[in-house]
This record gives sequence, C-alpha cells and structure tokens, in this order.
Amino acid sequence: MVAGGATVALTGCDLFDDDDEPPAPDPLEPLAAESAALAAQHRAALAADPSLADRLTPIADAHQAHADELRRVIGRPAPSGTPAGAPPASGAAEPDGLLAELQAAEQTGRENAAKACAAAPAERAALLGSIAAARATHLEALK
Amino acid sequence: MIPRTAPTGPAEALAAALTAEYAAIWAYGPIGVRLTDAARTAARAAEAAHRARRDALILQLSSGGGQVPADRAGYALPYPVNDRASALKLAIEIEERTAGFWRAALPHTTGADRNRALAALTDCALRATRWRRTARVTPLTVPFPGRPT
Repeated sequence: MVAGGATVALTGCDLFDDDDEPPAPDPLEPLAAESAALAAQHRAALAADPSLADRLTPIADAHQAHADELRRVIGRPAPSGTPAGAPPASGAAEPDGLLAELQAAEQTGRENAAKACAAAPAERAALLGSIAAARATHLEALK
Repeated sequence: MIPRTAPTGPAEALAAALTAEYAAIWAYGPIGVRLTDAARTAARAAEAAHRARRDALILQLSSGGGQVPADRAGYALPYPVNDRASALKLAIEIEERTAGFWRAALPHTTGADRNRALAALTDCALRATRWRRTARVTPLTVPFPGRPT
C-alpha cells in the first residue's frame, strides 16, 4: 500500500466513492433521533402522570409516526449505538413541570425541523414541513 | 379537501395557494356570523391573517410576471353553516385545506419563498388546532398537517 500509492488511487475506492467510509450519515439522522426521543419523552411524562394521557398520547404517537416516516425516507436502519432512551423526565412530578419540559423540547424541535425543511431537497421538503408544523401544534396543545 | 392535482412549478404552486386563501377568506364570512365573543374575535383575526397571505401572494406573483388567478364571485359551502357547531367544523376544515396547499408549495420553493410557505402552513395548522380546542374536538392535533389523507 505504501509503495503503490498512485495505483491505489486509481483502482481503489476513490474512483467511485468519496473518501469517507462508511458513507456519510444522512442529514435527517438527527431529526429522526429527535422524533424518537420526543416520543419517548412524552411517553415517560404520561407514565409519570397518567392524568395527562388524553393530551400526551396523540402527541407521542405523532412523534413516533414522524420517526418511522423519517426512517423510511432515510432508507437505512438507525445507526447502532443510537441511544433508544429518552431524556429522563427529570423528576418533575408536578404536571406543570412536566408540561414545561415538554414545551421546551417541542420548541427546540420545531426550530430544528424548520431548519431541516429550509435545507432539504425538494422531495423531502413537504414531509419536513409537516413535521415542523406538527411540532408547533404540539406546543399549542400543551398550553 | 387537499389540492386535486400536484403543482408543476413554483408559480403554479403559489397560484394554487392563492386560490386557497381566497376561499378561506370567503369562508370566514359565514363562519364569523355564527360565532360570538372570543370565537368571533378569533375568526376575524384568522380572516385578517388569510387576507395578509393573499395580498403578499398577489404582490409576489404579479411582480414575478406570472399569472395571478382572480377570486371567484362566490363559493358553495360543503354543508349548511347555520349554527356554532357547523361554523367551527368549517373553520377547522378550511384551515386544514389551506394548509394542504401551502404544504404542496414547499417542494416547489427554496430559500425565503420556502420559509414563507412553511410559516403559512404552520399558521394554518395552529389555527386548526385552536379551532379544534374551541369545538372540543380531540385530539387537538394531526400527525402530518397538510398531508393529503
């Protein structure tokens, strides 16, 4: 390898592939992970306070649907080593505390999805726009 | 409820969004007269927001030299709007419908135009959620606002 540098450059991976091995992660990976984390965070909150189930279950389900759809669009399974768990509901047993944490997470998520929509190729823009809009409505529904 | 045919370019997508805004503005007439108090105020605010989107679209389309579709003289209501319940039902549906047109514009736009389309989609989705709350419809949200069902 050391001696045949020029030959390797022609016959090795460089001719057809970019340098980076393994392939670069899909730019939607962070958003897919965020959707999964938001779903888990809502499920953890409603486990901590079952009286919130009516409000939080549809939102948790929506985040899971987003994660599934993003995974389908990415076309690859989630990278191994991705933490499946949610940020723990941080011991805020008060419903107001739980809701405030969820609102903060939805606000951040809404901004991230809007940025992803702005940067996306045409074929992904509609899905990402729906996800950004959905997260905005979650924030409204949590008020 | 959602665009019948997919737009083929940015001008077509924005012209389609404009026709949806015309219809929304019109619909808030019969909606508003069946509502009272805070709900009527919300209907007026929603109508004003749709007028602002309409005006911005007309400006954008005409300055781009494209065709600016004209408003219609009137529209057929999908069902009688003769009480508060039917007015709220139509308000939810008109916001969902308009969201669909703005969502359809996203793939055909870039940069500031796409951000404006996303802002409009989000505003429609938020108003639909607030109208569901007013109408006590649950859940308050849908998983993919604006997506054809």
